Amino acid sequence: MAPLLVTGYSMVSALGLGRRQHLEALAAGRTGLGEHPIDLDFETAAGAVRQPLPELPAELQPWSTRLARMAYALLQELDEPLRRAREKWRPDRVAVLLGTSTAGAETTEVAYKQFVAGGGFPRDYDFQRQHTFGAVLSVVRKLAGVDGPSWMASTACTSSGKTFATAQRLIAAGAIDAAIVGGLDTLCTMTMTGFNSLQALDSKPCRPFREDRSGISIGEGGAFALVERAGDARVLIEGIGETSDAYHISAPHPEGLGAQAAMHEALQRGGRYPTDVDHVNAHGTGTRLNDTAEANAIQCVLGTEVPTVSTKAYTGHTLGAAAAIELAFAACAIEEGWIPPAIGDGAIDPEVAVKIPTERMTGRFERVLSNSFAFGGNNVSLLVAKP
Amino acid sequence: MSPLQVNVAGVGLWMPQFPNAAAWAQRQPLAEGEPIKPTGEAFSRVNRRRASQMGRAIGDAVAEAMAQAGVDPRTTPVIVGSSIGEASAMIGLLDQMWRAQEPMSPAVFTVSVHNAASGLLSISMKNKGYTTSIAADYDTPAAALLEGIGLIATGHDAVCCVCADEESPRSLLEHAPHWDMLAGAVVLTKTNASDAGVQLTVHTSGDADVAGSDVAAKFTHNPQVGIIDLIDAVQRKANGMLRLDRGKGRGYLAQLAS
Repeated sequence: MAPLLVTGYSMVSALGLGRRQHLEALAAGRTGLGEHPIDLDFETAAGAVRQPLPELPAELQPWSTRLARMAYALLQELDEPLRRAREKWRPDRVAVLLGTSTAGAETTEVAYKQFVAGGGFPRDYDFQRQHTFGAVLSVVRKLAGVDGPSWMASTACTSSGKTFATAQRLIAAGAIDAAIVGGLDTLCTMTMTGFNSLQALDSKPCRPFREDRSGISIGEGGAFALVERAGDARVLIEGIGETSDAYHISAPHPEGLGAQAAMHEALQRGGRYPTDVDHVNAHGTGTRLNDTAEANAIQCVLGTEVPTVSTKAYTGHTLGAAAAIELAFAACAIEEGWIPPAIGDGAIDPEVAVKIPTERMTGRFERVLSNSFAFGGNNVSLLVAKP
Repeated sequence: MSPLQVNVAGVGLWMPQFPNAAAWAQRQPLAEGEPIKPTGEAFSRVNRRRASQMGRAIGDAVAEAMAQAGVDPRTTPVIVGSSIGEASAMIGLLDQMWRAQEPMSPAVFTVSVHNAASGLLSISMKNKGYTTSIAADYDTPAAALLEGIGLIATGHDAVCCVCADEESPRSLLEHAPHWDMLAGAVVLTKTNASDAGVQLTVHTSGDADVAGSDVAAKFTHNPQVGIIDLIDAVQRKANGMLRLDRGKGRGYLAQLAS
């Protein structure tokens, strides 16, 4: 398959709105993790989007949720490449392929809390327009002025990574010419309580690959990318690996076999060798099991010298949005010629054999592997390259 | 969108009273008046216990479709489509938090994700390849077929698309028509000149001339009813254009040729 051309991208996370704010935070090694607005009976840091999100136009108010307003912010940053794409491609040839894990759960849990308290559902609550996994798709199509095939991938923490692979296949098959891909997720009580029930949350900001790491920090945010059949690519996605562990519903394979297979597949589909990879944006959630398994997998596939950073220490784990946000960070590394330092308290785990740079590194980063792994044993690895 | 043609090599379904496609084809409910629970045929015993009722219905439909198509479950990609996913698990978690104010069950949380069924399927079938879970409201059947067609167009020999939605969550959909649970699966394969099966293409617009199935009214509002209409049309060896969304989605149609 031909490489996927990424002609524009946008991002929202605890680091800010848009590429510039993200670059500033990443360059400074400044985390976005900290206090959050979710009312919990346990302590944890989270990556909340603190800037106000734009309100939807009046005609789309029935669909207005935090998720939909996040989508609007992402589309605003993508405005210029989208305008060019609309001039080039028929609206029905531009797909909307997004990923989410929580969909409208944040809106539903607030409504349900009121219902349980005896107050009934809020008058403006609408399950079909605000909760379902597909609800935000119609908002994105209308705001973007496109009308191609659209669906939501929901494979937990790999959701948005899957959308790049779908777009690549549909373009190769001649079914579409371009697509808005990526994903988004919001903080919600249910998710944070659920990860806490698994004893998977760190009470402090997460510390991926550190010796005393003790879990995840949840984040919210999203990233969209415009991918096209032809055009001026900012970066290419040369190969994508999609595999399953077939091992456990919520724990990674201890040797990271599924993760290794995903990285091998991405390299093979991209026609590249392990020595071609300059940097890994790791899944790196900060749990003991995940980081150990992933480090083993990276070592097996790429050796020990490829600088590996988990940017979840900056944004938190943004679940269904993580793969797209980290794809955007991979693109930034290639375009800017530097990678952010691996941040987090404590020493690097001596059992992690891969290179974890704790200072910002500059250089030629021409090819980046970005990993995402999920509940269900679902793995996605994206090989991102300089055009 | 350019039409892309594939072959339908196997079908499977689960609906209350009709536990498989063969029973549906003959309109023979196995236990009249008695709701039959899905067994989760494609799952290992331990994962059968973990799966929701919808997950088990998906497991039954997938097992039947794959057996009919004669494809290998260890290597055949599976696309699970569902509009609301594991909504009852989510409501259970919300009740634990807000109503009972109990600690959340980690076991329920791990299978409350939309891809619980696809994950349990890959574990049970020892499939280490591609799997996904998608949603597009009433367009989910069309989306699953398009995702499957994309896989076949780029090198896979066979793909299983399964679409399911559990019973509508009455508390959250107070004023909307109620629907009952259903699951339907089709195995798509590359088209060959020698294929005796049904050829399928998906279109974004057009006029339908193939009628939908005669499912009971309690299923007609299920967002996945289009997959049952497709399975029914395949069983009838219908030729022509069939709506995949019962007029509630964006107008996708399947063109069938036997």
